[in-house]
Amino acid sequence: MSMTDILFYIIGGITLAASAAVILSSSPLVSSLFLAMSMITMAFMYYLLEAYFIAGVQLIVYAGAVMILFVMVLMLFDLKKEQDAFAGGTMGRSLKVLCSFLILGAITGAIMNSAGTTGNLPLGEPSAAEQIIGVKSLAIKLFTQYLFAFEALGLLLLLIAIGVVAISRIKGGTHA
Amino acid sequence: MGQDIFEIAVNVTKLIIIFVMMVQLVPLLVWVERRGSAYIQNRFGPNRIGPLGLTQLLADAVKFAFKEEFLPTKARRFIFYAAPVIALVPGALAFGSIPLSIPIAIEPFQMMGETWGPYLFKFQSFEIGIGIVFVLGVSSLGGYALLLAGWGSENKFAMLGALRACAQMISYELALGLSLVGVLMLYQTFHFADMITAQMGPLMLFGSEIPFLPAWGVFYQPLGALIFFCAAFAETNRLPFDLPEAEGELVAGFHTEYSGFKMNLFYIGEYGHMMVASALFTAMYLGGYDIPGVQDDVAMVSQMIAGLGLSTNMVSVLTALAMHVVFFTKVLLLLWVFVWVRWTLPRFRYDQLMDLGWKTMLPWALANVIITAVVVAVMGMS
Repeated sequence: MSMTDILFYIIGGITLAASAAVILSSSPLVSSLFLAMSMITMAFMYYLLEAYFIAGVQLIVYAGAVMILFVMVLMLFDLKKEQDAFAGGTMGRSLKVLCSFLILGAITGAIMNSAGTTGNLPLGEPSAAEQIIGVKSLAIKLFTQYLFAFEALGLLLLLIAIGVVAISRIKGGTHA
Repeated sequence: MGQDIFEIAVNVTKLIIIFVMMVQLVPLLVWVERRGSAYIQNRFGPNRIGPLGLTQLLADAVKFAFKEEFLPTKARRFIFYAAPVIALVPGALAFGSIPLSIPIAIEPFQMMGETWGPYLFKFQSFEIGIGIVFVLGVSSLGGYALLLAGWGSENKFAMLGALRACAQMISYELALGLSLVGVLMLYQTFHFADMITAQMGPLMLFGSEIPFLPAWGVFYQPLGALIFFCAAFAETNRLPFDLPEAEGELVAGFHTEYSGFKMNLFYIGEYGHMMVASALFTAMYLGGYDIPGVQDDVAMVSQMIAGLGLSTNMVSVLTALAMHVVFFTKVLLLLWVFVWVRWTLPRFRYDQLMDLGWKTMLPWALANVIITAVVVAVMGMS
């Protein structure tokens, strides 16, 4: 085993443990911290796959901005009620188990259905030019081949932002 | 890490030296801060212990190490203890990935009956292929330390301080990131070494050379440099942006409950952020290790050192050290500006802070991106 393989197993183990802790811990705040941890280790995984730019973006966007916002908002609220709801009852537990089986089924189905398609993808060693100008080739692909999806996603995020502002003003909001 | 034992040993030593350099600069900066504030406010400052009060640093360090450490009864133990350690990590990682000088080229040499080399040692702890993106990514994790400190110590003042700190850091990160986009478009690279190389030589504007001015980023990107500098102040949580620890309102903000060495770790984290911001500004806007007004400065310095009649390896090492002195002089000047501003400007009100970040700096940073993009596309600059 090379150094990279050993690192992969260590980081993979931490990622799995942190992800499991996200759903196993009873406090929403602790689980969001574990989620942040799994996102940071995911960035490390991208790095091991030599996707340096994606790793950096994962750190900046998900671990550095999105999760910090999550944690911050969770800290703002009194979490007693939510904590009980998280911990709670036969009904809650059975729903949780049901949901996890649903997700397991969805993932298995996705893998089974995509088995035929992934074989056709041009995987394997990227060319030397692609390795050097990784960011450039990513940008060219984003702004030519996937332009529509990229712009549509941007528009979707804008819509979400507008929607959040609208919903927060329905019942007076903080700036009423 | 390296191919053989020599390279690995040097790389590990380098890692330790750069980290220790960062940590050891902190007491000196604290001294500069105190003496500087005293100078600005017409006082003496700490001047009793040792020459110029310099041994005060030692006394402070001893005080930090031996003060009573306590844990608030209701604090969340693990998080309370983890937060100061996490505060140290982003600054140290980011500082380690910035090249502080030119790489050292070592030719094959004889040692202990074996031939070693050739080697090329970069003047930084480690190099990651994405340069600036890595620094931004790692320093964006700095918010966690403050949040954990505030939440773990289970204290309303600490909590409010942490929330303020996080809101502020997230708001100003946008302006900071956008102000860098102009630089990235101008130099078309993520690597600090390439950026610094691009800033060598005299300033060219509209095809004509401007005498006495170097081709530094600050002349091509004045608006970007200004926004980056202001946002860097906000990211380091220093005056005029030190609302997280506004002592008039929040006791000491997120580190209210911390004492002794844990408090010291927060200090090191804060000063580490300052050093990272100064080093980034130097590398991107102030030409890195470029000596202003000198053509081919690296070649000139290495020739001067070669005149002493040393071996080529020694010349390479000494040249790198000389360029490092140039780089670090600029960093130290910027650090002095940090201190200077802290004792000159009063603190913002919270709404002023948010207005400045979202309604002033963000639109201007966006405008800077658009203008730079148009200019780069039209002039075909590279």
